[in-house]
Amino acid sequence: MKKTSTGHDTRGCGQLLSRLLRKNTSPARIAGFLVSNFLGLAIVLGALQFYSDANSIWSADDSFVKSDWLVINKKVTSANTFGESADFTPEEIADLERQPWVRSVGRFTTADFRIFARMSAGNGTGRSMSTSLFFESIPDEYVDVDKSLWRWKKGSGEVPVIISRDYLTLYNFGFASSAGLPQMSEGLMSGIPLELTLTSEDGTRMKRFKGHVAGYSNRLNTILVPDEFMRIENAELGSGATRNPSRLVVDVNSPGDVAISEYLEARDLEVAGDKSGASASFLLKVVTGVTVAIGAVITLLSFFILLLSLSLIMEKNATTLHRLLMLGYDAGSVAKPYTRLAVYAPLGALFLALCCAALLRGSYLPALEGLGADSGSFIAAPAAGAIITLLVIIFNVVSVRRKVRESWRR
Amino acid sequence: MRLDNITLEGMLPRVFVSESIPDSGIWRATATFRRGESYLVEATSGGGKSSMCAYIYGARTDFEGRLLFNGVDTSRFDMTRWQQLRQENIAYLPQDLMLFPELTALENIRLKNGLTGYASDSKIEEWLERLGIASRKDSPAGRLSVGQQQRVAIIRSLCQPFDFIMLDEPVSHLDEHNNRIAAEIISEEAKALGAGIISTSVGNRLMIDYDKTMHL
Repeated sequence: MKKTSTGHDTRGCGQLLSRLLRKNTSPARIAGFLVSNFLGLAIVLGALQFYSDANSIWSADDSFVKSDWLVINKKVTSANTFGESADFTPEEIADLERQPWVRSVGRFTTADFRIFARMSAGNGTGRSMSTSLFFESIPDEYVDVDKSLWRWKKGSGEVPVIISRDYLTLYNFGFASSAGLPQMSEGLMSGIPLELTLTSEDGTRMKRFKGHVAGYSNRLNTILVPDEFMRIENAELGSGATRNPSRLVVDVNSPGDVAISEYLEARDLEVAGDKSGASASFLLKVVTGVTVAIGAVITLLSFFILLLSLSLIMEKNATTLHRLLMLGYDAGSVAKPYTRLAVYAPLGALFLALCCAALLRGSYLPALEGLGADSGSFIAAPAAGAIITLLVIIFNVVSVRRKVRESWRR
Repeated sequence: MRLDNITLEGMLPRVFVSESIPDSGIWRATATFRRGESYLVEATSGGGKSSMCAYIYGARTDFEGRLLFNGVDTSRFDMTRWQQLRQENIAYLPQDLMLFPELTALENIRLKNGLTGYASDSKIEEWLERLGIASRKDSPAGRLSVGQQQRVAIIRSLCQPFDFIMLDEPVSHLDEHNNRIAAEIISEEAKALGAGIISTSVGNRLMIDYDKTMHL
């Protein structure tokens, strides 16, 4: 009479089990959790994703100048306008080189000739623009870029140019819109050939070159060409007069050193850099921080709603749990409906929140890209969401297990 | 694993520790229940027989002394071990029956049988018929009389393989006729499995031939 075939009516038994355990489940509370958790997560994930996308505007790797290289110049005052030079004298440079925090000093070389650049904008529309330019150069060791991209040999190749990112921004949002020219992304701009015309100061000698934008810098407010190019063309087109540099690039031991700022302040020197970028980046951080904090509070509260509803259901079903365990049901099967809820409810909310964050991203991304953001991928939100949800799930599953164990011996 | 003997070694409910208790064949003594033998544990109300059952079933641990299964101390048994014992070695009819009032009589039985896959549907039908509750099998257990509930719980306790069946006042609400039938069914099952029977009573005892009577 002993029937050895396993579970001849276990199917019905599973239904009975879930009927008993689902008693006292409140759809309203679960919905409350879903809505609030979705809301909280959507805010947190949306903000984090926005931060990660927008941050590239300011923190885009300025690979052309290392952070421990300071570009310094004298403060320009009205005295400079009326004759007093803002250049560095050899004595001043020598004094700077003697400072203990200085590793080396590089001099900016200014072009001693006139430059006229022409570029065709808007593929095939025939529109072009031309402008007077200026060039500067610094010794190659201060330009931290792939040397193969930053090479120029006399009589061969195009002239690589690094321009300030601000110039592109000025063009896109100042000039292009008012002049009816198309806006250009960094990538597009780099692909457009520059026709450079170099003329000597007296207009007797002229040379033509092809050039291209090799990169953009936040820290160098200039238009940079290779030092070798500058040296040769200054010799060939220049007036021959030696000029003191007005800007220096200084390799320092530690950029945060107080001695540096004291020295610079005492001599009325300025450090060129991404100050505006830094403050905008700071503002972005603060705004993101506040938004994430609000979202985090909502997420945390929603998480407690889930925890409390699970506790409440299990508390109400404590007798049922105890009796099932007394019958010989194992803790795992008894906990299953609650574990499922603890796993699937946060996953559901995460899915909805990610959809929301993705939609939000789709709406702001074009605007950000217009501002020059290097739109990364949709990673920040899913990664953060996965971590938060995983923690919530682990915590809930553990607390469900603990509750079941509490009903084990009463 | 087969459970051959259960030994209570100097066992005493903690609540009794400070009290002076009358002579007992179990409390503070060494009592052994062997597989294949039947035991009647007689007690007065409040004597702790339900406590003893709960201790042996692993449901409570508030006792002094030791509980040994096949000579092994059970104090280190974990939940999984106990659940295995409850599915394969020890059948238990608690005094408060522990039925699920919202499930029907048959569903209550199936809830246990589904776990063990032990008894056939026809066997369950036969037991229901013999105990006279076949017509009430689809009624919610909460609507049945205590006597009817007791019979449902007896059937449920038989829906598993066991080395011992422990019945805590199994017939307290049964008439002599039903007592006799219940005794027959339980004896048949225990005999077929070579199992031991531990039945408690405060007066109305299950009508089987006991090998030994113990007093709490």
